[in-house]
Order: sequence, then structure tokens, then C-alpha cells
Amino acid sequence: MSERSLTSQAGRTSPTPGWADPKPARVTFDEWQDLFERVPEELVEEYHYFPPNREAFSKYLFPPQTFAIYGMRHLRRLKYDNSLAALRMWGFVQNETERLFRARQLGRRVIATMGDLGAVPVIVNSFPDCIAFYPDCIWWTPFAMESRVLFDAAAELGIGDATCFSRAALGAFAKHSYFPDPDLVIASTGASCDDYSGVEQLVERFAPDMMWVEEPMRCDMGRMGPMGPMLVKEYERVVERMEKLTGHEITDDELRAGVRQANRVRKLVKRLRELAFREGAMASLEMMVVEFGNLHHYSDITEWPHVLEHLLATAESRAAADTPVVDKDALRVVWVTPPADPLLLTYVEDAGARVVGTEYVINQALEIIDEDKPPLEAIAESFMAASLIGTSKARAQSAIDQAREYRAEGVIISGIFGGSHCAMEGRLISDYVKAALDLPVLEFDVTSPSREIALQIGTRIDAFLEVLRSRR
Amino acid sequence: MKELLTPRERFGLLVIDEPQDRVPVFPLVTAHAARVARIPIRDYYTDGIAMARSQLAAQEFYGTDFISFFSEVGLVAEALGSRFSYPDDDLPLLAEPKWSELGELDDATADPMKDGRLRVYLDAISYAYEARADTVPILAYVPAPFTTAQQLVDQEAFLLGLLTEPERIHRLLEYATCSIIRFCRAIIGAGGLPILVDPLASGSVISAEHYREFALPCEAEVIRYLHRYDLDIVLHICGDTNPIIHIMPESGADLLSLDHVGLETAIAAAGDRCRIIGNFDTTAIMLSKPQEVADSVAAMVLAGKPCPRGFVAATGCEVPVETPPENVRAFVRAAKEAGANADWGARRRA
Ligand code: SF4
Repeated sequence: MSERSLTSQAGRTSPTPGWADPKPARVTFDEWQDLFERVPEELVEEYHYFPPNREAFSKYLFPPQTFAIYGMRHLRRLKYDNSLAALRMWGFVQNETERLFRARQLGRRVIATMGDLGAVPVIVNSFPDCIAFYPDCIWWTPFAMESRVLFDAAAELGIGDATCFSRAALGAFAKHSYFPDPDLVIASTGASCDDYSGVEQLVERFAPDMMWVEEPMRCDMGRMGPMGPMLVKEYERVVERMEKLTGHEITDDELRAGVRQANRVRKLVKRLRELAFREGAMASLEMMVVEFGNLHHYSDITEWPHVLEHLLATAESRAAADTPVVDKDALRVVWVTPPADPLLLTYVEDAGARVVGTEYVINQALEIIDEDKPPLEAIAESFMAASLIGTSKARAQSAIDQAREYRAEGVIISGIFGGSHCAMEGRLISDYVKAALDLPVLEFDVTSPSREIALQIGTRIDAFLEVLRSRR
Repeated sequence: MKELLTPRERFGLLVIDEPQDRVPVFPLVTAHAARVARIPIRDYYTDGIAMARSQLAAQEFYGTDFISFFSEVGLVAEALGSRFSYPDDDLPLLAEPKWSELGELDDATADPMKDGRLRVYLDAISYAYEARADTVPILAYVPAPFTTAQQLVDQEAFLLGLLTEPERIHRLLEYATCSIIRFCRAIIGAGGLPILVDPLASGSVISAEHYREFALPCEAEVIRYLHRYDLDIVLHICGDTNPIIHIMPESGADLLSLDHVGLETAIAAAGDRCRIIGNFDTTAIMLSKPQEVADSVAAMVLAGKPCPRGFVAATGCEVPVETPPENVRAFVRAAKEAGANADWGARRRA
């Protein structure tokens, strides 16, 4: 029997028709190239962004090699889930810059949303032919490229190493080549991170049209509290501005459809988190990418849910067959603040741990929005769960709850060298966690982009995991 | 003056059909890089690290937009068994092709890690990639099947075979294609962007009919393989491409690198499907005075800039080894000046 017919036969029950995934494993860059060489042509042709568009340029099932050739050097050092669904996810996510430019070429409006990480895009994406994206996510690009180019560009505009890596977004605005110049920038500020507010202020000179949205602080008087109505008013301003920009008067039904669309993604991610944390059905690197997809669906609200469904089918079949991709018996850790250097996740998993909970400063994007309430009120209510608008204690509590739920053995807090907000919170969260749980906590700052983990951080991670091992 | 975009960012815009701050600049600096690095040419093509360091030095010295690895078109043929001599300070020379006439083929496939000097290229790519791939695209010339085949079999026998034994020629081309694809795969793994180079398929060597029948299908096959990876592929054919310029896009190439053909002709024939790279006369860059080079380059850029899919200011073929550095610098400076889109940032914001 030929390899192809074996594949087809297995494909009947496989998460990917026409393809049988190998035994779940995390594989190297080179191993993914070997796997990709075996992917049939029909599958490479199958997946397109902006469906139902089928233009040749919109294919995206490409391996890490493709993006490494275009400068993403760090991809060579990472380890990847070996499922086709994961390959699809990586191809889709890495392709986002091109996708945004193509969106503009196809006549769509491109709106940069900044700072709030998850809420405003629900409104923007409810407008026809409008695409929201977060320049904030350029945060990872210097690490993915192992490059200071964007930091240098930001430094020339007056913001240097004493500020969070999020300053890379400013460099990207200045260069006009990481995303098309947006039709509108909607920048959220207020009860937020001062580093990023500073970045947003400096972005204004590159924005043809910019509006500011005030984020309220969460107080202890219930979810909405007295500030909720203020946020609803802010979102009404966003709607007004979008209507002016597009000439389209949005209906309640359209906004409700936008909420349902966001919820569809959030529910898929919720289930994926469950399967990853409990069953080891997805590795932490892929899961970080998955979680951040809740922010703006990687600029394609139609295709991203399909990518997630594919991943979920893969994770479900792994859970059903009890074939995890990471050892279920590995040391269980909760991770606080997303690591700017994704290699840290590969490193920790290689060293024998797995991630069973996250507090990646995007709690608001993980919330399911209440579909029974008026849409703007419901979006505002979901945003009031935001990681950054409350106390550090609330972020710590989220880590503590997850640590309890998934029986974590330790907590890792990765800070940002030069970042004020996260650097300040790290120690506080660590103290709260230690007070609430008898768990070791490792706290460190990620330094500049590099091809490898700094020796000192590597040693500290090794020692930390050794402590966890000895406590078993 | 420091430029806003890196070569990598500029190339990224070109290949997604977005305007750039200026046209990318690409004098085809290959073995001439050995002169910049002041090493014997033989070291350049037998030692991957030396090759990489020379290219890195040349890219920095001239401020070009690409790093490109190449020494000669016999690379894959040598890995398959043709014999080359290595003069001390000159490029490799074909000493004896694998076969003197068209006959039975063996079942050899070149192993990029072991055979000939393929590994030299891979070492060079890896080294340069680690050094500078965040800011500069790393290109690697790969001899196309039709050109490789003429280094595997005595060239006269091969050209005669086009008329008398087409079946055998097709089999030989398949044989070459197989190893070339394998080499491409290794280049991709190392971080290089393969450029297909097919000088022996130019109108200076064969007719348009033979190009369509023999060379084009193999170019297309290699490019199909590379497109599986979504790579933007340059097809470089130096020499006279007037008879085939209208057919070349059928190879699937995304960018055509051209030599002896009028830019207006090339743009009219292929500019709506491919970006055009070209095509400064390499004798002129070696023998002219810097100011003459600059004036002609400026005229070339003005002719190339209107290309609908984009234009790269380049030489038509390799910069000759003994070209005075001040001429290459004049080329680069003039191309950057003439290729500038002064209102680029402002237009993109508008
Ligand atoms: S310091 Fe923390 S919260 Fe502030 S921009 Fe950086 S990562 Fe975001």
C-alpha cells in the first residue's frame, strides 16, 4: 500500500482529511521541514485567508522555513507541535503582515487598536470590510527576528531601553512596512500601563487619524462598578467614529453578530486551554499563540475560527486517545506575563515542565461576553475583567486560582527588562502567590533579543525546576 | 545617510506589491566580493566561511540590498560527477564533463551535505544568515537544470541532442532537476532564498522553441517546488533574452533578472506578471568612469521604475571580478538617488 493511500485511509478519522498526523511530539525546525515535504499538494492549496477568497497569494499552509527565510531567525530554535493543525496555525499567524497589506489592497479598512487588548476590535470588526489589528503584538517581532531594528527605530524617536519591549510598535509605525498605515488608530489609555501609554502618545505623529479611549479603573464594587457606564460611553464614541469613517450606520444586530463572532473564538480557546492544561494536548508555545488570537483574530475573523477548530479537533483526539504532546507527568507550572522571548517556553518544556495556567495580561480577551445584554454594555462588562486595570492582587488571584485548579507545582513570572508596569508587578504577584500557596515562585526579567536563553536565566530555570522535582 | 528601511523591509514590500522608499539596488556582486575582502578567489569558492565573510563585507562596503552567493554554474554538475579545476585566483573551470556524449544515466542524486562544493554554499548561507538575515535577504544562486545538463555532458553533444535525441535530453534534464531540487531544499533549511540561474538557456545559446520545449518546463518544475514554500523566486537569465522574454513568466518566476534586452521591451512583455531586475551592462560597469556609470544607471532606473510589478536596479550579469570599487559605489549611489520615492512616507500616510 502506498504512503498516500495509508494517509487517505487514516485521514477518514484524522482531524485533517487526507492526512494522518504522526504520533504527537514537539519537533525541531529541521524535523518540520521533513514533515512538510510529505504534506500533499492538495492540502497546501486548501487553506486560504479571507475566505471565500481563493487568490494564489492568500495560501498560508507554509512551514517555519518560509518565515525564517524572510528574517524570522528565532523560528530555527523553537520546537513545534507536529500536527498539521499546528502547522496551519503557524503559517496563518506568521502571514499576518502580508495579510494586512493585502486587506488594504482588497479595499478593506485597516484599523489599529492599541492598548486595551481585546475589547475595541469586537466593535471594529462588526463594521463591514473593517479589520482591526494590534500593533502591540509587534512586541514579539524583535525576538522572532533576533534583531534590534525596531528598538533602534523607536530609540531614534526618543524611547530607548528604559521602556518596555512594546516600544517596538513605535518603530513599526515609523517604518511603514510592518502593516499598512491604518485608516484610524484607536488608542486606549487611562488605568493602564504607563509604558504603553507613552508609546501610544509617540505614535500619534504617524497616525493620520487617531482617537483616544479612556479605560476606567476597576474598583471593588462589583464587575461594572461606577466606572462601567463611563466605558460604555467611550465605546459609543468608538461606534460614532467608525460610522463617520465608514459611512455605515451600524445596527444592533451587526454588533450582536460581532459579539457572537468574538465569543465563538473565546469558547474554542477556553476548551483548548482546558485540554492543554489538564491533558497536555497542546504545548505551551502553541497555546500562547492561541490565547493571543483572542485579541484580534490575527486580522482575519473569518478564517481564524477555522484554524482554532482544526487545533481543537486535534487536541480532542489526543485527549480521547490519551496521547498528549507534552508529558502529562511533567512538572506543572503557571506562567504569569507572556514571555517576550518564546524560546523560554521551549526551554522550560525541554527541561521537563509544562504550563497548566497563564496570566498573560489579557484576561479581558478570555472572558465570554454576555450575549443577552446590549452589546456595548456587554463588551464593557467583559473588559472590566482586564488584567491591567485592577490591582496586582487580582492578577495574582487569577494565577492562584489556576494553580489550585490544575495542581501547579510552581509559578514562573517573566518580566520585561526596562518595563515599568510588569517589572513593578512581578514582585507583588510573587508575594501574593507565596502567601496564598505553598509554592516556589521564579521571577526573572527577559533581556534583549538573542539567539539563545541567557545563561543566567537558563541556570535559574534549571535550578527552579530541580526544586520542584525535589518537592514531589 | 542612514536609510529608514532595511534591505529586508524594502524587499518585503516589493514582493507583496507595495511601493518602497526607493527601488532595491542589486549589482550582482558575486566573486567580486573576494576582491573586497582581499582573499584569493579560490578561497572564496572552496571555503564557505570565506565566501560568507566576503559577501558580508561587500554588502556593507557597497550598501547593496542583497547578499548573493554564487561562483559558477557548474556547482550541481560537479556534485554529480563532472570534474572542475580550481585556478588559484580565478573561478572554477569545467575540466571534464561527467559524460562526453548522451548515453545511459546512472541513478546518482547529489547529496548537498557531501558532494562537490554544495556544502561550501550551505556553510556560507548559514554563516551569513546568522550574521545578517534580520536586515538583509540572503540569496543563493542555483544553476537551473538546462544549464546544469550542459555541464554534465559535453556541450556540443548536448546541443546536437536537442535536435537529434530529444528524449535523451528530457531524461538528462529530469536527472539534473532531481538533484537541483534536493539542493534547493537544503538551501531553504539553511535560510537562503534560492535564485534560479539559467544562462545557457538564453537566446544567445538556443532558440525560443528549444527554450520552451526543454528549459522552461524544468525551470517551472523547480519553481513549483519552491512555491510550495511560498518563496518569491528570481529567474536569472543573462545574455540575450529578447526572443524569450514573453515566455519567461510561464516559468512561474516572481522576479525576472535580465541582461541584454531593452527595459521597455521587458516591461511591456512581462512587467504586469513579474518584477523586473536589471540590467546594467557589465562591461560598462567595469570599463567606464564612475560618473559615466552614474549617469547611465540613473537613466536605467528611470526606465525601469514604471514597471507595474516593481523594479530592482541591478547589473545584467555578475559584476566582473576586476571592476573598480568606485564604479560599483557609483552604481549604488546613483541607483539609490534615481530610485528614490521622495514622497513615500507621506504618500503612505495620506
Ligand atoms: S510593561 Fe507590561 S503591561 Fe506595560 S506594555 Fe510592557 S508588557 Fe505591557
